[in-house]
Amino acid sequence: MTYTYQFVAALFGAACLAGFFGALLGVGGGIFIVPVMVLMFQLPMKIAVAASIVSVIATSNAGGSAYVEQRITNLRLAMFLEIATTAGALGGSILALYLHEWLMLLLFAIMLAYMGWAAYSTRNLDDERIARGDFERARPDRLSAFLDLRGDYYDQAARREVAYVVNGAPIGAGIAGLAGLASGMLGVGGGVLKVSAMNRYMNVPMKAAVGTSKLMIGVTAAVSSILFFMAGLIHFYVVAPVALGTTAGATVGTMVMNRLHSAVLKWILSLLMAYLAYGMLAKALLERFGVHLPVLAG
Amino acid sequence: MAMETEQNVYAGVYRALLAGMAASTLLFAAGVILALLHPTYVPLDPSWVRSHYRLGTELRGLLSGDPTAYMLLGTLLLILTPVARVVVSIYAFYVDRDYKYVAVTSIVLAVMILTVGLSCLGLR
Repeated sequence: MTYTYQFVAALFGAACLAGFFGALLGVGGGIFIVPVMVLMFQLPMKIAVAASIVSVIATSNAGGSAYVEQRITNLRLAMFLEIATTAGALGGSILALYLHEWLMLLLFAIMLAYMGWAAYSTRNLDDERIARGDFERARPDRLSAFLDLRGDYYDQAARREVAYVVNGAPIGAGIAGLAGLASGMLGVGGGVLKVSAMNRYMNVPMKAAVGTSKLMIGVTAAVSSILFFMAGLIHFYVVAPVALGTTAGATVGTMVMNRLHSAVLKWILSLLMAYLAYGMLAKALLERFGVHLPVLAG
Repeated sequence: MAMETEQNVYAGVYRALLAGMAASTLLFAAGVILALLHPTYVPLDPSWVRSHYRLGTELRGLLSGDPTAYMLLGTLLLILTPVARVVVSIYAFYVDRDYKYVAVTSIVLAVMILTVGLSCLGLR
C-alpha cells in the first residue's frame, strides 16, 4: 500500500460519508465503511474489519457523547445490554481471526440484506406509535422492572416529551448478544440489530434506541478491538484517516438526526444496504468460485 | 436524589467520551500529517504492525516524529476510551449508591479484562 495524498484524501472522504450516514441512521458506520474499504480500496477483508471496528469506537464516542448530552441515551438500558454485547463480541472476534475471507464477505452480504429488509419493513411504525402514546402504556417484564429500565427523551420532530416503559429484557439481551457476535466477526457496530431489538421487542422509541445503541457500540467494539490489536490486524495507516473521517461525519450526522422523521431514515437505510449487499456478494463469489456478477459501479 | 444520581452518571460518561475523542483525534491528525510529509510504501502485513509493539520503539518514535508511533498511541487511546467510560460509570454508580448497577457494569468490565487475558495468553 503506497501512502499518498490521493489515497488518504479518498479514504478520509469515504469515511466522512460513512460516519455521517452511520450517525444519521444509528448504524455505527461500519456497515458502510467495510464495503467501501473492500470494494473501492481493494483492502483485505480482515484489515478492513479491524480498521472499521476501531473507527466504530470513534463514531460511538462522537455520536454517543452528543446523545448522552441531549439525554436521548438510556444509560441503564445500555449498561444492561452491554453484558450481552461484550460477551458476543469476544466470541465473534475470535471467530474472525480464523474464518476465510470469502466466508466473511458472504456473511457480510447476508447481514446487509437482512438489515436492509428489517429497516424497510418497520419504516412507518414509530411515528404512529409515538402519536398514539403506545410507548408509555406498555407493561414492564420482571427483569426490566427490577433493573428500572424505563426512560424518556424530548423528540424534536414530534415536538414533545416521549416517555417509554421497557419490556422484553430477556429477548432483547439475546438479540444484543447476537449483535455483539456480528460486531466482533464483521467489524460493524451491530447497531442495526441492537436498534431493531430495542425498537421491536423492548418497546423503546427509535431515537432513544439509536442513542442508546450508539453508546453501547463503543464498549462492544473495544472488546473486539483489543483482540484484533493483539493479532496485528489493526493497521494504523488505514485506521487514522478512517477514524478521523468517521468522527467528522458522525458529528454532523448526529446534529441532523433528531430533526428527521424515522420513516425517512429507514428508507435511505434500506436502499443503501441493498446496494452494498450486492457488491459484497459479488466479491465473495469472485474470490471463492471465480464467478463474475455484473458490477453496478466502480 | 434520583435526579442528582442521573446527573452524576451522565456528566461522568460525557466527560470520559469527550476526553478520549479529543486526544485520539489529535494524535491521528499528527500521524497522518507526518506520514504525508514523506509518502512511502507501507506493508499491510500483521507482523509488520506487531513489530511496533515495544515501549522503547514507541517512545523513540514519538520523540523522533515517526508517524507510526503517533497513530499507534491514538489507536490505543481510542480503544481504551470505552474501557475508561465503563470504569467511570462504575465509580459514578457507586458514589450514587446504585449498587445494582455497580454490579451490572462490573460484569461488563470483567468481560473486557477477560478479553485482554485471552489475547495475551494464546490468540497471537
